[in-house]
Amino acid sequence: MELLITALGLYALGTLAIIWPKRLELAAHYTAMWLATGASLMVLWVACQFLGQAGWGMPIYNDTIWQLGRYSLVLDSWSAAFLLIIGLSGAAVSIYGIGYGRGYLGSRIRQLAGLWNLFIGSMVMVVLAGDAFTFILAWEVMALVSFLLVNHESEKKQVVHAAYQYMVMTHIGTAAILIAFYILGGGADSFAFKDLAHSELTLPLQHLAFGCAFAGFALKSGLMPLHVWLPNAHPAAPSHVSALMSGVMLKVAVYGFGRFVFEFIGAEVLGYGLVVMVIGLLSAFLGVLYASMEKDMKRILAYSSVENMGIIFAAFGCGMVLTALGHSRLAMVAFTAVLVHSVAHSLMKCLLFMSAGSVMHATGTRNIEKLGALAEKMPWTAAFTFVGSMSLASLPFTAGLAGEWLTLQSMMTLAFQAASTELRLLVIFAFVLLGLTGALALGCFVRLYGVAFLGRRRSGLVLKAHEMPFSMLLGMGIEAVAIIIVGVMPAPLVNIMRNVLLVDGEAMPGGNFLGIWWDGGQSVALFSPWLILLLAGVLIALLCAALISRKIVVTQDVTWNCGTEPTRRQQYTATGFSKPLRRAFDFILKPRRERVFLQREHAYFGRKLQYNLQIPDQFTDRLYRPVQHVLIRSAEILRKLQQGSVRLYIGYTMLAMVVVLLWGAM
Amino acid sequence: MEYIVVLLLFVVVMQTRVMELRRSVVCLMIQSGLIASACIVVGLNHGLWHALVPCLLTIGVKVIFIPGTMLRLIDKITDDREIFSNINVNYATLAAAAFLVLGYILAGRFMLAPIARDIFAATIMMIMTGLALMVMRRRAILQMCGLITLENGIYLLGLIITQGLPLVVELGVFLDVLIAVVVLVILTNRMSLSFMTTDTTVMKKLKG
Repeated sequence: MELLITALGLYALGTLAIIWPKRLELAAHYTAMWLATGASLMVLWVACQFLGQAGWGMPIYNDTIWQLGRYSLVLDSWSAAFLLIIGLSGAAVSIYGIGYGRGYLGSRIRQLAGLWNLFIGSMVMVVLAGDAFTFILAWEVMALVSFLLVNHESEKKQVVHAAYQYMVMTHIGTAAILIAFYILGGGADSFAFKDLAHSELTLPLQHLAFGCAFAGFALKSGLMPLHVWLPNAHPAAPSHVSALMSGVMLKVAVYGFGRFVFEFIGAEVLGYGLVVMVIGLLSAFLGVLYASMEKDMKRILAYSSVENMGIIFAAFGCGMVLTALGHSRLAMVAFTAVLVHSVAHSLMKCLLFMSAGSVMHATGTRNIEKLGALAEKMPWTAAFTFVGSMSLASLPFTAGLAGEWLTLQSMMTLAFQAASTELRLLVIFAFVLLGLTGALALGCFVRLYGVAFLGRRRSGLVLKAHEMPFSMLLGMGIEAVAIIIVGVMPAPLVNIMRNVLLVDGEAMPGGNFLGIWWDGGQSVALFSPWLILLLAGVLIALLCAALISRKIVVTQDVTWNCGTEPTRRQQYTATGFSKPLRRAFDFILKPRRERVFLQREHAYFGRKLQYNLQIPDQFTDRLYRPVQHVLIRSAEILRKLQQGSVRLYIGYTMLAMVVVLLWGAM
Repeated sequence: MEYIVVLLLFVVVMQTRVMELRRSVVCLMIQSGLIASACIVVGLNHGLWHALVPCLLTIGVKVIFIPGTMLRLIDKITDDREIFSNINVNYATLAAAAFLVLGYILAGRFMLAPIARDIFAATIMMIMTGLALMVMRRRAILQMCGLITLENGIYLLGLIITQGLPLVVELGVFLDVLIAVVVLVILTNRMSLSFMTTDTTVMKKLKG
């Protein structure tokens, strides 16, 4: 595996862009970005090659690629699956970054390009780590570098706030993971992963280790209620950075969680799976609900990441429950769903963040209320965004559906295997939430695409919009094409991902170029894009036939609008579009509305009013604010104790002395 | 020795009552003189040479040099407001009495010989009263007096427990006190120049 070492070396070389001389900063940017692209392609190649071999089992230590004393880098099928994600998205986003990063010329572009390399490199290291120390080290580098990248536009106060919030949150997560490793290491011979796998823990300790690991990885992947950093950090970061953070870094957390569950702790306890599944489902539903309310393009995407990570973890939990119930063969469909949806989400989220970056680049705003009619000005970007939006809404012929179909199949399997009434109720609850999530996601992305790219322009900012340079289009194009390929022919991806976890070569979710199927014990399900295409073709043909046979009169006229000419301002706004949802889910969202009358002459006319609508994040308000208040309150008490008066300190010394003397005398 | 201890207790209690800077320093001088004589009494058991050196050092540093500089410093402080302050006088005396009781309780626990018990209680009382003086007084000079009282207490404690410390350690202790006091005197001087007062509470202004 010299190629992987070479790739890591190239990332290191790219990181050196930081120390290039100032007058060569553009050259440094290009070099670093090309290095990142090349290295990511190498990683992709290695991952494909590794996954292309057939016949291996659950994550075994097949390949130690580097070893130094107790520290090692190892490659197994589970990490190879995630190397695939990092390589593919890393390469595409790096190509995009070649053009996008140029916008930062003059504002620390060398730092941006160098840290970019370090960021991808650290993610590769996390996935390859063969012992706890290397893992934590790489994990921490990843956290710090992503913090620096989020903080890149540090002139803006908002950015600094978001970045520091991210840093605090991510370090809480790291601390939790450290505790988990520490507990695990207590029962093992060493901190190497293959020894940790044989860690023997007593029950309360095992629960604690699992809780810490889950909290740490859930925080990094933005599950509710630990997601608060995510919608703030993504809009603050440069777009290609948020693409990589959302598309790839969140998956690295899935990798870590998988490593814990499959190897260290095991899924024998039913409760673990249930917790993971319920939290995943709630995140999926609430994530998409909040996404539908936002007006900021990147915040929409960030909340949508929460949703998709929720779906991934729901599938994961479902697999854990199935394993705990003793159906480890059937559980494979859920774990395959996790991997397939991880790949799909990485593709589509990277694509959409890149397109959000392009829109920002072209118009200078992220607020979709100020966009509209961008499809005319930026046809390619609009086309790619359309593909990405379709995929995030899980429509056919896109990658999003493949992952979601497998997730639903795993829930279905669980429904058949559920023995107790409670479990059946949970599955019903899961179906309801997943169904709602799917429907809301569709609405959310129709809204995003429709408001930003279709209709008529909503502000003058759209006038200066222009198509993106070739490198940016290429980056987006690669992802869009990949989405369509996976969407039309999901079988190769599903087969590869199934092989990652293959235990004994028994029937798993399988597929050929026609589609994928799953034999879930009592039912066989089939998903074939071609069949859907056929069905759609037949339906369209019937419709056309019906329409053509009749004589149609087409009259083109202005839309009737109560007798007035329709203007731009009468279009559907993004806020208006999501109004029904806001009403329906009033009890969850608790929107804050505020009306101020600027002028009020009559009850019905001559009025001018200002209307403010805010959707506060309930978790921030209900959970984080109180904690913050308690912390500040207690800090104030401590402040009274320590206020810088020397006499007070001498007093403490005196008190301590009296106490010690008395204690000694007792 | 008993007389010395009684006198010492008397002087320390006096110290808690005295509010005038000059008198307080004189008290300190007497107190240090008593320590010097205690030094001789204890040290004579170990030979004249070993008794004389610490005694002379005590007289030189704690009776003559330190109070001398402090008196000179007081001469420089012209502000009348400085000279008197009437807070916590009774509290300090009460605290001194309480510390004496504490000292006897501790001495009882440690089961010392009767004479050593008295001295031990006196030293505990001196240490704690020195601390209390530093906490309760606001004037820099009085706080310095508290510090020296504390030092004297610790020195006496060392003396009775070890029957005379090695010479090097004693020299070190003296040097320590000397430097501390020199620094304190310089700082107090600067303080009175810049704030026109030696009330340490005004130092709070310096906090960010």
